[in-house]
Amino acid sequence: MKGRTISHAPAGPAPGAGRVTPLGVLAVAAALAGALVPVWTQDAPFVLVMASHAAVAALLAVSLDLLTGNTGLLSFGHAGWFGLGAYACGLAAKGWSAELLLAVPVALVAALLLSAAVGAILVRQVGKAFAILTLAFSQVLYALVFLFSDVTGGEDGLQGIPVPTFFGREIASQEAWYWLLYGTLVAVLAAAFALRRSPLGCAWLGIRENAERAHFVGMHVGRLKLYAYMASAALAALAGALHVLFNGATSPETLHWFESGKVLMYMVLGGVGTIVGPAVGAVVFTLAEETLSSVTDAWLIYFGALFVFIVIVAPGGLFGLAKPAWRRLARRRGEPQ
Amino acid sequence: MLIVSLMLNGIVLGSILLLSSLGLTLIYGVGRIVNFAHGALFSVGAMMAVWLAGAGLGFGWALALTLVLAAALGVALDWATLSRIRDRPMVDSLLLTFGIAMLTTGILYEAGGRNLQVLVPPPSLAGAVTVLGATLPAYRVFVSVLAIVLAAALLVFLKRSRWGLRVRAANDDGEMAACLGINRNTLMHSVVGVSTALVALSGAAAAPIFNAYATVGDKILILAFMTVILGGLGSLRGAVVAAYVVGMIIVFGEAYTGGQAALLMLFVLVMLMLVYWPRGFFGEGRTE
Repeated sequence: MKGRTISHAPAGPAPGAGRVTPLGVLAVAAALAGALVPVWTQDAPFVLVMASHAAVAALLAVSLDLLTGNTGLLSFGHAGWFGLGAYACGLAAKGWSAELLLAVPVALVAALLLSAAVGAILVRQVGKAFAILTLAFSQVLYALVFLFSDVTGGEDGLQGIPVPTFFGREIASQEAWYWLLYGTLVAVLAAAFALRRSPLGCAWLGIRENAERAHFVGMHVGRLKLYAYMASAALAALAGALHVLFNGATSPETLHWFESGKVLMYMVLGGVGTIVGPAVGAVVFTLAEETLSSVTDAWLIYFGALFVFIVIVAPGGLFGLAKPAWRRLARRRGEPQ
Repeated sequence: MLIVSLMLNGIVLGSILLLSSLGLTLIYGVGRIVNFAHGALFSVGAMMAVWLAGAGLGFGWALALTLVLAAALGVALDWATLSRIRDRPMVDSLLLTFGIAMLTTGILYEAGGRNLQVLVPPPSLAGAVTVLGATLPAYRVFVSVLAIVLAAALLVFLKRSRWGLRVRAANDDGEMAACLGINRNTLMHSVVGVSTALVALSGAAAAPIFNAYATVGDKILILAFMTVILGGLGSLRGAVVAAYVVGMIIVFGEAYTGGQAALLMLFVLVMLMLVYWPRGFFGEGRTE
């Protein structure tokens, strides 16, 4: 399709696809190791809960990377979509059905509709105005929680969400939850990689690199950006929906700009546009926060300082730091990196 | 009388916003930086005033010292962080100021900002005055006058002084200004210093109205952002008009619809404005 015309990658399957590469083996090994977490945490159930939270955070980070990594648009209010998904799904589970396959789509549809409406105006904005407006929009959603506090529970948060069912069976055990969240994460990562190699993904990258030229070769830049925004919002809402069902409650704090900041941080730490990087960043940070918050409650200071430090010293994140080594490895194997 | 009273309160809020958003506009104009830390610096000013007043300083002195300390803080901030990423893509400056906002808020939390702190205005400003038949606390009148005088002083200074000439030159065309021998680095130090001083002072002066806590500036940040977008990014006179428009919308919205819906109304207005009038009230904002 259109994307191919600007892609420098050779047409057909991307290099490495369909062959057994060290990276592919590593990815499968890592995925399996992640799936086995419940086995070796049998004695420490709270570790498993922590790992489940990390999986949700990773989903959220990947959702932001879907937008920023692909199109270069930087959302400072991504927690808004996360919170929207959490509230929409939580209300659906309370008022309608606790079936996972019914309640979660409610959140997705809500996010898609709202992001289509807001995004249609937002994607016209370039860079700074987009960043400002996404932050403002998340604050509006935050304010709405309090405005409709008789429905949402206001300051106390949304509570009393029933135990969700999956095809009619209750998801009660922590292991089942972990595998559900982890499975979703792996599926989303795989889908994100597939999307990156699809014509749509190529078109997005073209827009990120040079929106003007992408426009010249006949792409609908605005529409493609809107798709990225909607996909990203829906995925963030999915993370929020799983979060609320897993927790059984949610609070307005999920929409606060601190949360948006944390997501940004996951992404920046992991490396923008690397898909896996933000997920890794999210896992590292969630674990660090849980550990740190038992020692000190001043985590904002540490995270803020680290954030400032990373942006100044290593704007590419951890993966950015690893890039030179990766290039060397790729060159030795005689492949374009 | 309700209308008059609301309008007066709208002017009070507008004046506070004016003082806060002029600095935001200046930093944007000269450095092309959208400062997400602006709200946190507002909170810093409010907390600073509480501390200084708590240390036994008179109210006026507390305000004055806040102004001076915040200016120094701003220059230090620009030197230590913002100047390190001058030539990087725009995205980095957004992330950096966002990180500074988190860091600052975290520090304020630990420094006692978790709880609401009350700053009592001096007895000479404690009474109430009647303006156009509506009663208004005298302190609010004082804050409005202070904000308007300072904003006017800044605008005159920008128009008349050599520093203002440089700032306007860099605002119009940074590269050309640099070619003409304007040191953008030191100019930016001073601009961030002035901007921080103004926003911290507005935080300090507003502390008796909004109280002081670590996240008091969050709402101001959003409103100031809406202000600079309505006025057009980088447009000073646009910001002046927009500050009062935003102040009126928030005060009237909160009075008639109850609390939080005002922000929603404002957001819808800003979105409409962006569709039909993306360069702000005077058509001189930037859209790059």
